[in-house]
Amino acid sequence: MPVVPLKFRPHQDGHFLFADDAGGYFKSDQAFLRRYAHDRLTSGDLEFLKGNGHAYDAVGDLAYSGFEHRFAERLYLPREMDYVILVPTLRCNLACGYCQVSRVNEATRGFDWDDTTVEAVIGFLDSLSARKIKVEFQGGEPLLRLDVITRIRDFCRQRFDACEIVVCTNLQEVSDAAWHVLGGDGIFVSTSLDGNRITHEKQRTITPGKTDQFFSNLDLAVSRLGSEKVSALPTIDPHNAPSPQEVIETFLNYDIRSIYLRPINYQGFARKKFDARGSAELWNKYHASFIDALVEHNWSSEIPVEEYYFVHCLRRVLRSGHNGHVDLRNPNIVGHSYVVIDYDGKIYPTDEARMVTRVGQFDLSMGDVFSGISAETINRLNAEALNNFHPDCVHCPYQAFCGVDLVDDISRYGRIDMPKHMTDFCQRHTSIFDRIFAMIYSDDPKIKKTLALWAGTPHFDPLLAKVHR
Amino acid sequence: MINLRLKIDPLPIDEPLIVRLQGPGLPARSHHDAVLAEVGPDRREYDLNGFSFGVYAGSDEVIDGDVLMMMPGETTAHRLIRAGSAHNTLLVTEQCDQLCVMCSQPPKKYHADLFEQFTVAASLAPHGAMIGVSGGEPLLHKERLFCMLEEVKARRPDVGFHILTNAQHFSRADLTRLQQLDHARVLWGVPLYSATPENHDRIVGKPGAFAKLEHGLSILMRAGASLELRTVVMQQNWQDLPALADYVSTRLSFLTVWAIMQLERIGYARMNWKETFRDTSRNFDQIARAVDIVTARGLKALLYNFPLCSVPPAYQDYAPSTISDWKRKYLDFCLNCRAKKTCGGFFQWYSHPEGFASLGPL
Repeated sequence: MPVVPLKFRPHQDGHFLFADDAGGYFKSDQAFLRRYAHDRLTSGDLEFLKGNGHAYDAVGDLAYSGFEHRFAERLYLPREMDYVILVPTLRCNLACGYCQVSRVNEATRGFDWDDTTVEAVIGFLDSLSARKIKVEFQGGEPLLRLDVITRIRDFCRQRFDACEIVVCTNLQEVSDAAWHVLGGDGIFVSTSLDGNRITHEKQRTITPGKTDQFFSNLDLAVSRLGSEKVSALPTIDPHNAPSPQEVIETFLNYDIRSIYLRPINYQGFARKKFDARGSAELWNKYHASFIDALVEHNWSSEIPVEEYYFVHCLRRVLRSGHNGHVDLRNPNIVGHSYVVIDYDGKIYPTDEARMVTRVGQFDLSMGDVFSGISAETINRLNAEALNNFHPDCVHCPYQAFCGVDLVDDISRYGRIDMPKHMTDFCQRHTSIFDRIFAMIYSDDPKIKKTLALWAGTPHFDPLLAKVHR
Repeated sequence: MINLRLKIDPLPIDEPLIVRLQGPGLPARSHHDAVLAEVGPDRREYDLNGFSFGVYAGSDEVIDGDVLMMMPGETTAHRLIRAGSAHNTLLVTEQCDQLCVMCSQPPKKYHADLFEQFTVAASLAPHGAMIGVSGGEPLLHKERLFCMLEEVKARRPDVGFHILTNAQHFSRADLTRLQQLDHARVLWGVPLYSATPENHDRIVGKPGAFAKLEHGLSILMRAGASLELRTVVMQQNWQDLPALADYVSTRLSFLTVWAIMQLERIGYARMNWKETFRDTSRNFDQIARAVDIVTARGLKALLYNFPLCSVPPAYQDYAPSTISDWKRKYLDFCLNCRAKKTCGGFFQWYSHPEGFASLGPL
């Protein structure tokens, strides 16, 4: 009976975690590993492997086809473009320490869309074949260009069958007119809330007056728009992080139950000051303590809370086809289903590609709204954006769940051929997947409860944590 | 109870006739359309291409747009398609090659072929209708069935089919035709009762059925078809459910939905009720596990034919109302239930004394 290739990694309890290319997994011991490696599998081994989807009788039988289907579903296939990130201005009314390259001062001239650019962007949107569109306004501070937001909104409403508009705002200065726009149908607010008041003030608002202003606007946003239309991202400096409990409490105050923790993303020269390995380790430690705190919280609270990205990774472990997040895909084909349009009308495949270009590392732009998309450079990058055959990934049991981020590699190391285990991306994701499997194979009822909540099921069944002996 | 037959003053016909009953004031749009000429308290008079006939229906009964099949010499007409209902099913054959312990429609030896009439009827259905195709085993008449699907697709691309089949008769040669059907409008409902081949074969009364079913399912997968996998819960497969969920998530992740179904007390199920019915109102554990497993794996599970009060609260969202309108009833205690609107109730032929022990209004 043919057995599909199995990859393995020591598990924390001294046994091994095995997984195949379609993401099927189980835990077993050294003795099984030896039998597998020496081609001495017993009939009991084969029966288990077949039951768990790792073996088949003949090419084309249902076990084989089922494997193929799960494998294929794990590959991300770009759809038609239906998501556009717009940067109508780089001007901002805050000067956050971690935001060095994506902003200019509020009064600076020359970093805004002019009328010609606005019309060219509208022409670009009009050329899309999608019937539904998601538009995300970033900046700078996009509320400084409320005129552009309303113009694009009006256009999209009449042009597309459905449109969703996300305004990524610092909620610092919100005029009555801006509140009116934000309260509209299909408009969502995404803001930054750096964990707790002290950290938010230190990293973003600097003065107590401005801090008060932000928190009162956040209150208003939640009460006027409803918490389901407001999301908030905490940017965390692992060297100086608020306690997980404080972060959870702060977010629950605003009835926000999904927290997407983000490490400070130093760009350009600042990034080089921080050793990637060291900062990934510190981040992983903080992130792990945050998961611990969430498990504790969920055990005793009526209101469950999740860490958005960890839950995304958990679901990618459990399921095929969970390719909805742009940060974790394989192959990570960029520049097809969504693009970023910068303040000068240039088009980029991702926001980070925009930064990489801005600090002068590489030109990752792909044309502009005036003359159209030219994707030659990006397509050359895309040809490498696959982990299935990468020599460092082929032996990793997490390969099927994981992705690649070549733009991040370029940004950090100036190249895409760093040994994967030395990259920040690999280190962070290995840590997350280690943690996920530690949880899946835990007997702790507290952990099982949180796992069920995050997997979206009433209970977390033991058959999802198979051990073969 | 909704009537699936209507009394008529028949036309002098010598072969089956399909007619669509037009509503008041509506002209004929095809030569199958009967125009409403006169409405009496319990009888409506129609004109079909110059011939008149009567249909008996109370004044509160809505039959506008219904498609009827009249048989020579019969004084009742089959109401093949009720325009106001989402539960229209064409019984295309009563022959079957399996003999399931819980069959609600036990097979018969002979086949009366009405595919031609059904093709016309489906082409007259309301816009966007989803029409059930059932048996017996429809694929025993595969060529006729495929022709019907292809013809209706050509004439009425908006009309869809939900076809119940044991998937024993697909072959590689069918791939091209299957691929050309509209997967968004054709859903194949295929039963699987256990991941243990002997248990499945015993339940369906056919040795080797499991192996043939695996083959059929792999062809549906390759064709890109939409699959509704159907598992009736019984004493015979109660212990098998978690392992079946595991099998489903490794082999059949292409499915659209896994329907876990309660028993319909009619046909063989009525005969074998005592050895077959599993009272899931008292113990739901194995179903809960099955739902948990496939849901975590990203597949969609639904509970068909379960009264809501028989399902633990955490799983009630998985239990839509599925019992067809004309088969449905409610019990005395349902009167005070706040969930009656979303609950599918019980089959007409459900017998409470032999049924669920632990029910009550929500």
